[in-house]
Order: sequence, then C-alpha cells, then structure tokens
Amino acid sequence: MSAAAIIFYIIAAFILGTGLLAVTTRKIFRASIWLLFSLIGIASLYFWMQLEFLAAVQIIVYVGGIVVLIIFSIFLTIKSGEEMPKPIFKRNLFAILGALSGLAYTARQISLYKFQLPENPAPFELKVGDIGRQMLSTTDHGYLLPFELISMLLLAAMIGCIVIALKQKEPVKQIQS
Amino acid sequence: MFIKEYFKDIYNAIKSLLVGMKRTGYYFTHHKEIITQQYPDNRLELNLPERFRGEVVMTHDEVNEHACTGCSACELACPNGTIKIINKFDISPEGKKKKAIDTFVYHLELCTMCGLCVEACPTNAISMANTFEHSVYNRGQLTKQLNKPGSKLRAGVE
Amino acid sequence: MFSLESITTLVQDWLNKTFSPNLALFFEFVIVGVLAIALFAGLGLVLVIMERKVAAWIQIRLGPNRVGPKGMFQSLADTVKLIMKEGLTPDGADKFLFNLAPFIVMMVAMLVLAPIGFAKGFHIWDINIGVLYVSAISSVSVIGILMAGWASNNKYSLLGAMRSGAQMVSYELSVGLSVLSIIVLTGSLGINDIVLSQQNGWWIFKGHIPAIISFVIFIIAVTAETNRAPFDLAEAESELTAGFHTEYSGMKFALFFLAEYINIFIVCAIGATLFLGGWMPFHIGNWEAFNHIMDYIPSFLWFFGKTFFLIFLIMWVRWTFPRLRVDQLLNLEWKYLLPISMFNLILMTLVAIKGWHF
Repeated sequence: MSAAAIIFYIIAAFILGTGLLAVTTRKIFRASIWLLFSLIGIASLYFWMQLEFLAAVQIIVYVGGIVVLIIFSIFLTIKSGEEMPKPIFKRNLFAILGALSGLAYTARQISLYKFQLPENPAPFELKVGDIGRQMLSTTDHGYLLPFELISMLLLAAMIGCIVIALKQKEPVKQIQS
Repeated sequence: MFIKEYFKDIYNAIKSLLVGMKRTGYYFTHHKEIITQQYPDNRLELNLPERFRGEVVMTHDEVNEHACTGCSACELACPNGTIKIINKFDISPEGKKKKAIDTFVYHLELCTMCGLCVEACPTNAISMANTFEHSVYNRGQLTKQLNKPGSKLRAGVE
Repeated sequence: MFSLESITTLVQDWLNKTFSPNLALFFEFVIVGVLAIALFAGLGLVLVIMERKVAAWIQIRLGPNRVGPKGMFQSLADTVKLIMKEGLTPDGADKFLFNLAPFIVMMVAMLVLAPIGFAKGFHIWDINIGVLYVSAISSVSVIGILMAGWASNNKYSLLGAMRSGAQMVSYELSVGLSVLSIIVLTGSLGINDIVLSQQNGWWIFKGHIPAIISFVIFIIAVTAETNRAPFDLAEAESELTAGFHTEYSGMKFALFFLAEYINIFIVCAIGATLFLGGWMPFHIGNWEAFNHIMDYIPSFLWFFGKTFFLIFLIMWVRWTFPRLRVDQLLNLEWKYLLPISMFNLILMTLVAIKGWHF
C-alpha cells in the first residue's frame, strides 16, 4: 500500500468515526463539534485529491458558515449543556436500519458503476480563473443560468431578512383632549 | 441630505482618528515626556508632584506654634470620622476661659485623602503632605497626634 | 548574494542525495515543523515585548525594564511564569471541549502559516488558492473561540464567545471584499503570483485611490477579525473579565495568548503581501538602477520589515482608541465598511478592466 492510500484510509476513518460520534453523543453541543470535525475531514479529503479550491469552499461554507450557524442556534436553546435522555430502542432500531439501507443502496450504485482509470491520467491543474469563466460561460457546460438563479434566490432571501428585521413603526397615539 | 451626512460622518471619523493617532505618535517618539519614576531606585531624589496627597499634617513654625484653634470644622467636614479633636480650656491672662486644642487625633488608616478637612479649615492650620511610605507593622501606629507636644496656638490667630 | 532560497535548495539536494525520496520528504516535514514552531515561539516572545513597549511609550510610561537589558527578556520571564502555573479546569466545565479549544485555535494559526511567502522562493506550500486558503482556514478559529466560551460553563465566557463569533463572522465580509479588490488586479489567488505582479511597484501605489481605500478597510477589518482593541468586545476586561478565556490558566491560556499574536502576524503578513508587495523590494516602474540597488537588501528583510510595520500600525491604533459599543461595532461594519468596500470593488474592477493602474 502506498503512502497516499494509507493517508486516504486514515482520513476516511476520521470522517466516519467523527460522523458516528456526532449521531451517538448525547450532548447537543458536542454533536455539532463532531459534525464540524467530520466536515473538516471531508475538506482534507479534497485536499488529498488536490482539489484545493473545492476544499477551501467546503471549509468556508460548511465550517465557517453552517456549523457556526448551528452552534449559535444551540447557544440560544436552553438545554444546550444537559445530556439528552437515551432514545428509546425502537427509534434506535429504525435509525440503524435506515442508515444501513442507505449504505447498501450507495454501495450497490458504486459497484454497478464501472470506474475505469484512464490510461495516462493527465496532470490535473485547476486554475481559479477557469472556474470563474466556467461559472459565467453560456456554452455547453457553462453554469451561467444556475449561477444567476442562485444569486436571485440569495437576493430574495436577503430582502426577506431585511423585511423581517425592519423595525415596525410605532403607531402614533392620538392624544384626545 | 442623507448622503451628505453619511460622507460628513466618514470625513469626521477619519479626521478625529488621525488627530488621536498624531497625539499618541508624538508620545511614542518623544521619550523625554515619560513621567514614570522608578521608585525604590530614586528614593533619595524623589520628585513628587505638589498636589499629591499623602497624609494630613499640621504645620508648625520654628518656635513650635501652630494655627489650630480647635474649632473642629475639620472633624465635621471629614466624611468618615478620621479626625477627632480633643479640646481643653486655657485660662488667659485676663482671667477668661479660652478654648484651645489639646490633642488633634488623626486616624491615617481611615483617611481617604479627600482633602475636605484642609478646605474646611478657617485658619489654614492643616495641609496635605506628600509623604507616602506609610506601611507599619502595627495598626495602632497609624493613629497619630498631629499637634506636637508642647506646641501652642500662634498669637493673633482667632 | 545571501538568500534563503539557496539554503533551501542546498538542503533539499543533500537530503535527496543521501536518503530515499520518501525518507527525504519525511525529513523535510520534520525540518518545516521545527522551523514553524521556532518561528511561533520567537514571534510570541518578540511581539509580546513589542506590544508592551509600544503601549508603555504611547501612554508615557517606561514599560518593562527589569529583566535583561532594557527589559528585553521580560517575555521569557512571562513564559516561565505561565509554564509554572497550574492549568485549572473548572468543575462544571465540559472537560474534553475545554481542553481541546486552545489547541484548535493554535492549530488554525499554524495551518494558516503554510502559504505565506517569507522570502523569495521560501514558503512552505505555494498553493494556487493562497489567499482563499487563508480566509477559509482562519474562519475555523471562530469555532475554537465558541468552543472555549461554551465549555467554560461561565456566563462571561459565553457572552464573550458570542460577541466574538458575531464580530468575526461579520467582519470577514469586509476583509474578503478588500482582499478581492487586489485579486481583481492580479487575476490570481496564489501568494507567489500576487507578489510577482508587484515587480514594478506595490499595489498600494499602483492601484490609485481604490487600493488605498481597500488598504484602510483591510486594516480596520483585520483589527476586528483578530479581536483587538478598539474591537476587543470579546474580551472586554471591564465588562467580561476576560471574555472567552476567563477560565483558562497556565499553558492553556498561553496558547490562546500566543495564537492571538500569531494571528496578528499572519493578517499583517497577508496585508503586506497584498498591498505592500510581500518580499518584493521597493521598485519604481523601470528605474533599473534604483531597482537594482533595492535588490541588494535581502527579500526576507523586506517581508519582515513590512509585516512589522503593519503590526506596529495595528498596535498604534490599539493603544490610541477606546473600545466600541456592540451597536457601534455592527453599525461600522454594515453601514459603512461593507457598502464602501462593495462600491470600492466595483471601482477597482473598472480600473482593472480599463487598465488605468500602472
């Protein structure tokens, strides 16, 4: 086994282990921290594949954004420090069954797809400028439409936030004399 | 108008930031402005500011006379009972009884150096000294008698 | 001429000649690790004494002057004190997370060091997304602070952590936008490319007014990012004792303290790279003779000189201004810095497209 393969298995074990801890721990804050480690593990997997841009985006979006959001909402709940009660056995059983069937389905899909290594894998160079051009290109594999649609969605969400957060004007009380 | 206010705010902010940074930059480069004194090293040539308040003292002149009439204005002015004045009655040559001070008790351990007693004194008998090495082994030593033994009221002070 | 690049190539050649490639790589890892830790320790010692001296002189004081000549070894004495102290863990704390948090903050600071170019041809990892990598990794340090605040089981810590989280998340936008305005000019995220693009002058001079505006916004925003006064609401002594590290003592506290200074160094290094040319000597257009003279100063001296200049600037700001209130802090970001930097980015794009920069 080459050094790269060993590193891959270590990262994979890290992701799975922390993911398992995230669903089995009974303290909600710890669960979010394990989730964070799992997501960092995925980012390091991208680094292992030399997809640096994707790895950085993974960290910015998931670690810097979503996990921070989750942690903030945990802080706002009352019982953030207490241990949750043990889930009942029936619920556990169904959760395990669901997870196993998901695993089986994914494994079957992967085994059905015949992965084929190209004869001479071309050196993989991903320039950020190319990603940017791809995002805005209107040709066959361009992403202009989804890109613009998502920006519209985000704009709508931002306007919605502003509307919700806007201070309501106090109704002026008429002083009757 | 909102836009004008907005840019005015930014301009004023930058200007006031620069003023502040200029001041601190001046102090950073001019080390002779430093006012720190390295106390135990310069104990012999201490240079304390005049207005530093260390303790209350009664000024005596060279013939051991003070200006305290025993009016106890300082005792009344003191916010936490630091001063206690014990009076006696002197018999003047004309045979009249006259109030005079016997003991001016000063509790240094209670004093907050507010200086209200000095302001209250009608005859400027007491003042704040700038001594500060007050540590002693026994708390009782902090209770002081301010008028020196054998001192008497300066003539002409009412 | 003396340069660090020749030393590194010498070491690498020797290692590759003597050992097998895998072993040589392993030895290189070890050397880089040792150098990084040595840099950390050295920076910690230097920056702490620098901060204390700058603070003292600005406040018309003498500062530390007992340990060593002019007090220059004061931070060594501090380190000894911190090592000797007992690292307490509060009773009600979540012990695992409480002890993990300082290491997370420290590891993040170490990871961010990777793409920084210290001198010509002298960096740990010339990753092609350098600046993006830095902003991505540094966003993880929020988690360390939130973790520390929550695990301490103390209301001051939690409040400090929440404030710090809100502050870092919102000021990240301004940092990102002001960095982007330089990226627009260079067209690359790699640190090395950015430095090389300043061959004929630094961006702060070449980029006209938009570059200066984004430089000012960058300095303000990174001061907030690193939780330093006037934006030190997260550890406001007068309100929250020490914010998120109230319960920490001994070496664990020292790690937070060190990480803060390393973060300052890193943001200043990034600022120096983006706006002041990194290790690139001071060049003016095509004055060949002048540029040639400037090249005689070793590049790592240029890099550290610029970085320490920016660090001094941030310290100067710190000891001049009082702390902001929370509402003022958020007003500053959302009403002033963000709109200005967005407008500035558009202006910068115009400059880049029209080629108005030198």
